[in-house]
Amino acid sequence: MPVAETIILAVASYAILGVVFAIWFVFRGVERFDPVAQGGPVSFRLLILPGSAALWPLLLIRCLRALKESPA
Amino acid sequence: MSIQYRAVQWNRHKRIYDLLLVAGVVLFIAVFMIVGLTRWQGTAAAHPVTLLMRATSSCAITMLSIILMIGPAARLSPRFSPLLYNRRHFGVTMFLVALIHGAVAVFWYHGFGIVNPIVSVFTSNARYDSLSGFPFQPLGVLALAILFVMAATSHDFWLKNLTPTVWKTLHMLVYVAYALIVMHVTLGFLQDDVSWVYGALLGGTAVVIITLHLVTGVREWRRDSRDEGQAFGEGWIDVGSVDDIELNHAKVVVLRGCERIAVYRHADGISAISNVCAHQNGPLGEGRIVDGCVTCPWHGYQYLVHNGQSPPPYTEKIPTYDVRVEGRRILVNPEANPPGTEVTPASIPSETSGDRA
Repeated sequence: MPVAETIILAVASYAILGVVFAIWFVFRGVERFDPVAQGGPVSFRLLILPGSAALWPLLLIRCLRALKESPA
Repeated sequence: MSIQYRAVQWNRHKRIYDLLLVAGVVLFIAVFMIVGLTRWQGTAAAHPVTLLMRATSSCAITMLSIILMIGPAARLSPRFSPLLYNRRHFGVTMFLVALIHGAVAVFWYHGFGIVNPIVSVFTSNARYDSLSGFPFQPLGVLALAILFVMAATSHDFWLKNLTPTVWKTLHMLVYVAYALIVMHVTLGFLQDDVSWVYGALLGGTAVVIITLHLVTGVREWRRDSRDEGQAFGEGWIDVGSVDDIELNHAKVVVLRGCERIAVYRHADGISAISNVCAHQNGPLGEGRIVDGCVTCPWHGYQYLVHNGQSPPPYTEKIPTYDVRVEGRRILVNPEANPPGTEVTPASIPSETSGDRA
């Protein structure tokens, strides 16, 4: 597979995974590590969705860390 | 300042700002299209889609240039501070205009072949070893990707959760995006035989932006050298006379060559806090006390002067400094207290009994 197509495929895969993660994150995960987000309106959640999709590895690590630190 | 996130924290000022912004964008594109359609006719006529691409690209780069000028201009003159107040909306609007340009260009030039349009952007011109023939479109895509990340993180949620330092660093990528756009446009001129006027405008604007940044940098460096506190003894630093400071205003002082603090004179005496706002690193010492709180000149974030805490229910905190007054001289302990630490203001002796040395 040519280099350009491989890179585009990798970026597309990253974006698709990001969108899936972001949908879960903005409606559930966000409240686990930022109390100010609790009860936030849908418009706010939709506004942070693109950024969540773009920075999903960072947020995933933060979510996993929050899960680990929270009492069982 | 917020106790619960909202999509946009509207107020009257922001509504007016945004209305003017959108009106300006619509007017710019409309005038560009009308002039283009009436002026370029016959063999020089451009397709309306091509004109739309030119209009949106010209609008976006004009907006980006203004955005890059606002910061240093506001440092040079407070008259430009109102533009800074809502620069975030300016940036997101600029990204949306650039996105229209990018989307139209990709589908117009690459959407009708058998190759994936995005792959085609990177492969249709493979002269990566040529200077004048270098593919300019991938540079635009990279710039757009940077602008996307910046626009997508333009909310206080990201500022808080990425931390102000990381957020600020991320948003400094605007200079990389600007450099990529300048190369994108310049190579586009070279390869498309466009009027030299565009090149002159682009070059002239870049010179203005660079000059503004250099002038501001030199001015700040000179001011820091001039306003550096002098060692007093026992670790305290003399930062000047109480008479140098107007009531409810501050003097910005540099401690140990790098740390800026804001020394405020207020009804209860003298207090010293960090000069760096917890929101976007705004210069607190260039603000003033409004309703009993130090108010950042950039976005209006407020702090109680005696403890560096935002008034309840807000939670932002900045470091405070121990301060005392000897005669009329203000002495500051350069060791910062943890953010939000209560410090009793130093009372100012009356002028008749004070030592004015």
